[in-house]
Amino acid sequence: MRRQLRSRRAPVFPHSYRYRLDDQDEVNQNYLADEEEEAEEEARVMVVHNLEEEEEEDEVKEEEEKNEEEGQGQPTSNTWWRKLQIMNEYLWDPEKRMSLARTGQSWSLILVIYFFFYASLAAVITLCMYTLFLTIGPYMPTFTERVKPPGVMIRPFAHSLNFNFNVSEPDTWQHYVISLNGFLQGYNDSLQEEMNIDCPPGQYFIQDGNEDEDKKACQFKRSFLKNCSGLEDPTFGYSTGQPCILLKMNRIVGFRPELGDPVKVSCKVQRGDENDIRSINYYPESASFDLRYYPYYGKMTHVNYTSPLVAMHFTDVVKNQAVPVQCQLKGKGIINDVINDRFVGRIIFTLNIET
Amino acid sequence: MGQKTPQIYSVELNGAKDMKQTDKGDDKDKYRGLWSTCLELRKNHHKEHVTKEIDLDDHKLSNKELENKYHTNIVTGLSSTQAAELLARDGPNALSPPQETPEIIKFLKQMVGGFSILLWVGAILCWIAYGIQFSNDKSSSLDNVYLGTVLALVVILTGIFAYYQEAKSTNIMASFSKMIPQQALVIRDSEKKIIPAEQLVVGDIVEIKGGDQIPADIRLLFAQGCKVDNSSLTGESEPQPRSCEFTHDNPLETKNIGFYSTTCLEGTATGMVINTGDRTIIGHIASLASGVGNEKTPIATEIEHFVHIVAGVAISIGVLFFIIAVSMKYRVLDSIIFLIGIIVANVPEGLLATVTVTLSLTAKRMAKKNCLVKNLEAVETLGSTSIICSDKTGTLTQNRMTVAHLWFDNQIFMADTSEDHFKQTFDQSSGTWASLSKIITLCNRAEFRPGQERVPIMKRVVVGDASETALLKFSEVVLGDVMEIRKRNHKVAEIPFNSTNKFQLSIHKTDDPTDKRFLMVMKGAPEKILEKCSTIMVNGQEQPLDQSTAEAFYTAYMELGGLGERVLGFCHLYLSADEFPETYSFDVDAMNFPMSNLCFVGLLSMIDPPRSTVPDAITKCRSAGIKVIMVTGDHPITAKAIAKSVGIISANSETVEDIAKRLNIAVEQVNKQDAKAVVVTGMELKDMSEDQLDEVLTSYPEIVFARTSPQQKLIIVEGCQRQDAVVAVTGDGVNDSPALKKADIGIAMGIAGSDAAKNAADMVLLDDNFASIVTGVEEGRLIFDNLKKTIAYTLTKNIAELCPFLIYIIVGVPLPLGTITILFIDLGTDIVPSIALAYEKAESDIMNRKPRHKKKDRLVNKPLAVYSYLHIGLMQSLGAFLVYFTVYAQEGFRPSTLINLRVEWEKDFVNNLEDSYGQEWTRYQRKYLEWTGYTAFFIGIMIQQIADLIIRKTRKNSIFQQGLFRNKVIWVGIASQIIIALILSYGLGSITALNFTMLRPQYWFVAVPHAFLIWVYDEVRKLFIRLYPGSWWDKNMYY
Repeated sequence: MRRQLRSRRAPVFPHSYRYRLDDQDEVNQNYLADEEEEAEEEARVMVVHNLEEEEEEDEVKEEEEKNEEEGQGQPTSNTWWRKLQIMNEYLWDPEKRMSLARTGQSWSLILVIYFFFYASLAAVITLCMYTLFLTIGPYMPTFTERVKPPGVMIRPFAHSLNFNFNVSEPDTWQHYVISLNGFLQGYNDSLQEEMNIDCPPGQYFIQDGNEDEDKKACQFKRSFLKNCSGLEDPTFGYSTGQPCILLKMNRIVGFRPELGDPVKVSCKVQRGDENDIRSINYYPESASFDLRYYPYYGKMTHVNYTSPLVAMHFTDVVKNQAVPVQCQLKGKGIINDVINDRFVGRIIFTLNIET
Repeated sequence: MGQKTPQIYSVELNGAKDMKQTDKGDDKDKYRGLWSTCLELRKNHHKEHVTKEIDLDDHKLSNKELENKYHTNIVTGLSSTQAAELLARDGPNALSPPQETPEIIKFLKQMVGGFSILLWVGAILCWIAYGIQFSNDKSSSLDNVYLGTVLALVVILTGIFAYYQEAKSTNIMASFSKMIPQQALVIRDSEKKIIPAEQLVVGDIVEIKGGDQIPADIRLLFAQGCKVDNSSLTGESEPQPRSCEFTHDNPLETKNIGFYSTTCLEGTATGMVINTGDRTIIGHIASLASGVGNEKTPIATEIEHFVHIVAGVAISIGVLFFIIAVSMKYRVLDSIIFLIGIIVANVPEGLLATVTVTLSLTAKRMAKKNCLVKNLEAVETLGSTSIICSDKTGTLTQNRMTVAHLWFDNQIFMADTSEDHFKQTFDQSSGTWASLSKIITLCNRAEFRPGQERVPIMKRVVVGDASETALLKFSEVVLGDVMEIRKRNHKVAEIPFNSTNKFQLSIHKTDDPTDKRFLMVMKGAPEKILEKCSTIMVNGQEQPLDQSTAEAFYTAYMELGGLGERVLGFCHLYLSADEFPETYSFDVDAMNFPMSNLCFVGLLSMIDPPRSTVPDAITKCRSAGIKVIMVTGDHPITAKAIAKSVGIISANSETVEDIAKRLNIAVEQVNKQDAKAVVVTGMELKDMSEDQLDEVLTSYPEIVFARTSPQQKLIIVEGCQRQDAVVAVTGDGVNDSPALKKADIGIAMGIAGSDAAKNAADMVLLDDNFASIVTGVEEGRLIFDNLKKTIAYTLTKNIAELCPFLIYIIVGVPLPLGTITILFIDLGTDIVPSIALAYEKAESDIMNRKPRHKKKDRLVNKPLAVYSYLHIGLMQSLGAFLVYFTVYAQEGFRPSTLINLRVEWEKDFVNNLEDSYGQEWTRYQRKYLEWTGYTAFFIGIMIQQIADLIIRKTRKNSIFQQGLFRNKVIWVGIASQIIIALILSYGLGSITALNFTMLRPQYWFVAVPHAFLIWVYDEVRKLFIRLYPGSWWDKNMYY
C-alpha cells in the first residue's frame, strides 16, 4: 500500500525536482560549513581589514557602538581595554607578524605592485607632458587673446594706489623716491646705450628671422622722462608737492598698436571737480608709447626689452584733499572700459598731497 | 473592566517565561503602564520578552453578571445616551493607526542625515570665513557667501527630494490603511439598528450571522451553528465552532468569545461587546507589532557605512591639510577655505539622491510584477535575505480546504489541488466511485450562493463549512451540476454533523424511478463510520468486511492522516423497499432506521493545499542560498505535511522522529546529526533557551515551527537575526504582524492579507504569489550590485576633485578646479549616468549564488574604495591635470612657472604678473584664465567619467561580453553629460558667477587618450580576475 501511494504521488515530485533538491542540500551544507569556517577566520583576524586609516577608524567606531550596545551593564573600562587591545593587535600582531591585518610579505607585494603601477602612471604623464611641450613653442605663446587688451600699471607702487604724503615731511614720500629710483635704474642712459640700439621712431621695430634668434631692443632712456627722470630733481617733484607718476603698459607678445596712431595716455579727475587737477605734464611730451617699442618678442629672445614709459607730472593738484585720478590709454584696439577689470587700459589712483 | 476580581486569568500572548503582573486599576493607567514598560524594555535591549497579559474573565461570567458588569440589558440593549457616553469615554471601536512620525521631523531628518551635516559644516565655515574677511575688509568679495548659500541650498534641495520620494512611497500605502467601513447590527433602546461598527461600545448587544465580520470582541450570549474563522488570529485553517458555554479557562480557547475582525462563517449568534478598539485581542497584537522597533534595513546600514567611510576620508584629509596649510604659513582663513574645498570635493553630493532614485526605479519595476514596496529601502533587503520565515496558512497554502486524496477499491487516488483545476484525472470508471460520488454529493449541506454560474467553480462563494465546501466544489467539478443531482434525489431526512455523533447522515429518494428503495448516505470520522459497517464495496461489489480489508482501511487512514489531511469516511445503505415503503416517515430523533451493517464505500481526505507556485519558488530560493523556515500556528502534522509538499522539508530529509520510526528505536537514541529537518512546536519552543533555539536554527537546514503564538514568531525572527541573517517574514494574518514588523523585511499578502499584516509589512505581494518573492530577491540582488557600480563610479571622480586642492595647497599652482564647478559635476553631469547604471543587467546568474553576508559583503568594501580612489581616481586626476596644464601652457603659463605662483597669482593689486613669455597679466585676466582652467579640468573629468561609466558597467566580465549597447540608458547618460557640459561651457560661459568660460573645442579632446587608458586598464584588471579567480589579484581588485 505504501509503495502504491509513493507511485501515485510521484507526479508531485518529478525526478529532476527531487534531484535538484538533493543537490541543493549539499550546497546548503557547504554553505553553512563555509560560514563557520569564515567565522573562525574572522575571529582570528579579529577586525575587519582596511587599508585606509580613516576607514579603519570608522570600523572601530562602529565596533565600539556595537560593543556598547552589547556590553550594557558591563564595566565600561573593560570594553575599552578590549577595544584598545583589538586596535593594538590590528596595528601590530606579534603572533602572526602582521600589521594592519597583512603580513610583511603581503605588504611588500602591495608596495611593489603599487610602485610599478604608479611608476607607469608617472611614465604616462611624463610622456603626455612631453608631448604637450612639443606642441608649445618656447618663444611665442600659442594664444594671446586672454592677455589682450593690455593692462596698465603705475610706478611708484607699493601695495596701494593711494598716494598720501606730506610735502614738508620727507619721511612720508621718501619711499616713493627710492622706489622710482630703483625702478629707473634699468633705464639709465648709459645702460640703455650700451645694451640697446637707437631705432627710428614712429614705426614698428620688426625683426624678421628665426624665432630662436636673439632680438634687439630699442632704447628707452631715463632722460626721455625729463623732469620726471630724477636726474634734475632727485625727488621726482615730491618735495615740491608735484609728484611724478610713471605709467607702464603690460607687455604682450606680438602686440602692435595701430600704425601711425601710437597709444596715448590721458589722465583726469575720475570723480569730482575736474579742476582739482589744473595741469599735468607728460613725458615724453607726446604722452604716447612710441611704435618702435613694438612688437615684443617674448622674454626668451627679447632679453633686453625695455618697456616704454609715460611719466605724468602732476604739477598743480589741489592740496590737502584726496583727488581720484584715472589715467586711460587711448588708441585704436585699446579697451579701457571693462567693468570687471579696472586695470585694462586704465588705472585709477588717488593723490592726497598735504602741505 | 473596572471591576476587580480576585482571580484573573491571564492569557499569555507570548511564550515568555517570566510573567509580569501589571497593576490593575483604571484602564488607561494600565495600558500606559504597559506601554512604558514596553518602551523601557526596548531601550534597555532587554533580552527577556515583553509580557502582556489580557485580563479577561468575561467568558466565565453568567449572563446576569455580565449585564451588571456592563450596565446593560440583554434584551433591550444599551440606551442611546449610555452608548454615547461610553463612546465618548472609550473612543471609537477602531484600531488606532500606528503612531506616525510628524512630517516635520521626517523632513528635518532628511536635512541632517547622510552627508548633510558635512555640507552644513562647509556652509557655516563659508559664512564664518566671510565674516572674518568682512571684519578685516568691508569690501571683501561675496564669493564665500555665495558658496555657503549654494551648499545650504544643495542640502535643502536633496533633503526635499529625499523627503518627497519617501512621502510618495508612503502615500501608496495610505489607501491600504483605510479600512472598509463595517456595519454592525446592534440592539439599542430595544430596537435593532444598523450602525457603523466604529460606534460600538462595551455592553452593546450585537447580532451576527454567517459571512459577517465580528465587529468587536464579544461574549456570545446565544449561538446557533455558529462557526468562526480564526485563521488570521491563530493560524488555524479549520473553522472553530462557537457556542455560549464557557469551555476553557483560556479566553483564546473558550468557545463563548468571538474575536474582533475574525469572520463568522455560518450560523447566527448574539453577543455582548466586551472590548472595543485597541483593547481587543487584535488590538493587543497590533500594539505588539507597533511596539516592535523597525529594524534598520541592510541597505541603510550599508549606506551609513559608506557615508562613514567618505566622511572619514573627508574629515581626515581636511584636517590633515588644514594642519599642513597652517604649518606652511597659510593664513588660517585661507586654511578654512581649503578645508571647505576638501569637504565639498570629497562629499558626493548627488549620490544619496541617486540612490533614492535608483531604489524607486526598482520599486516601480517590482510594482509592475505585483510586488508593491512600501519602504523604498526594502527593495534591496530582499536581495540580501538569507532566511525566509514563512507563515503557512494563506501564504504557502490557499487557505481553502480542498480534497486531496481518495481511497476506494483498496487504492489511494490523488486529486488535483491546484488553484484552478477543472478536471480530476483519477480513474473514475469503478462502480465504487459512482457510489462514493453519490454520497459526497448528497450527504452535504453546503450550497453555492445563487447567481454565480459564470464564476469558476473554485472561486464561487459557498454557504457552509470548509470541509463541506471542499466536497461540494469537488463534486461539482467531477460530476457537474450538484444542485440538480440533489433535486433529483429528494432528501427525506437528515441528521447534521455534531461533535458527539461525529457523523452526518441523510436519507434520499433515488433518481432511478424503477428503484423504490431509499438511499441512506453517511459521512463522518472514518473509525466511527467503519464501526457501523459490515460490508465494504470493492469494484462496485459489496464484500464482507474482513480482517484484511479492515487492515487496509487503517493503513490508508493512517497514511492520509500522516499527511496532515483531514480524513472522512463514507458509507451508504439501500433501505429495502419492503421495510421502508415510499410513505415511511423517518424520525431523526427516534432513529427509526438501521444504524449498523452499512456498506463502507471509501475515504476522502482534505487539506488546505499549497499554492501551485510555491514549490518552484522555494526551490529557487534554495538555489539562491536562502533558507526557508515555516512558522505557523497550525498543528505540527499538517505543518510538516505542507512543508514536505512544498519542499521546505525536501523529499529525502528526515526528522529525528522519522529516523526513530524508520529504525524502530527511541527518539533519544537517534543521532541528531543525521536529521536534516526538524519540527518544533510552540510548546517545545517555550521551554527552549535562547542558545537552544540558536542551535536548532543553525544545525538544521530545514525547519518547521508549528503551534506558535505571535510572540513566538517574534522570538524566532530574533533568533534568526542573531545568526547575522537578514530575515524576511511572509505572512497574511494579524498574528503575523509583529513578526512582519520585526523582520528585516516583512512581506504581506495583498489579497488574503489582513490590514494589520499589510500595515506592518514593508512589501505587499499584490497577487499573493509567493513566486514574486523570487523576483524580489533577484531585483534586490541586482540593485545591490548596481548600487556598487554607481558608488564606484561616483567615488572615482572625488579624487579627481580632491587632487586639485591638494596640489594647490602643496605645490602652489593656481586653483585648478573651483568649488562651484565641483558641485556642477556632482549635481550636474554625473547624475543621469549614475542612475543609468541601475538599468544594468546582471553579469552572471545572481540567483545561483548565496546571499551576501550582512557583516562581510559590504556595499562599499576595501577593494572598491581602493580601486576607485587610488587607481581610476588617480588616473582620472592625471588626465584632468593634463587638460589644465595644456590650457595654462598654451595661454602662456608653463607648468614650471605655475609652481609656487599661487601667492602672486591671487594678489589683487598685482596687475602685471609675468608669465613664461614675459607677458604681463592683470588680476582679472588671470582670474578669467583660472576659470578657463576650471572649465578645462571639468571637461577633463567629464570625458574620463564617460570611460569610468563604461568600465563600471561590469565588475568582472569584459564590457564586450556584457554588450556595450545593451543598456541604452547608459548612452542617454553619456549624452546628458556631454550636453550639460556643452551648455555650461558655451551656453552659460558668459555668466561669470558660475566660473565657466567658453573653452576652445580642441581642449575637449585632450583627456580622450586617458579615457581610453582607463578603459584598457580596467579591461586588463577584469581579465586577470577572470583568469585567476581566488588569486591575490582577485581578492584585492574585485569589488
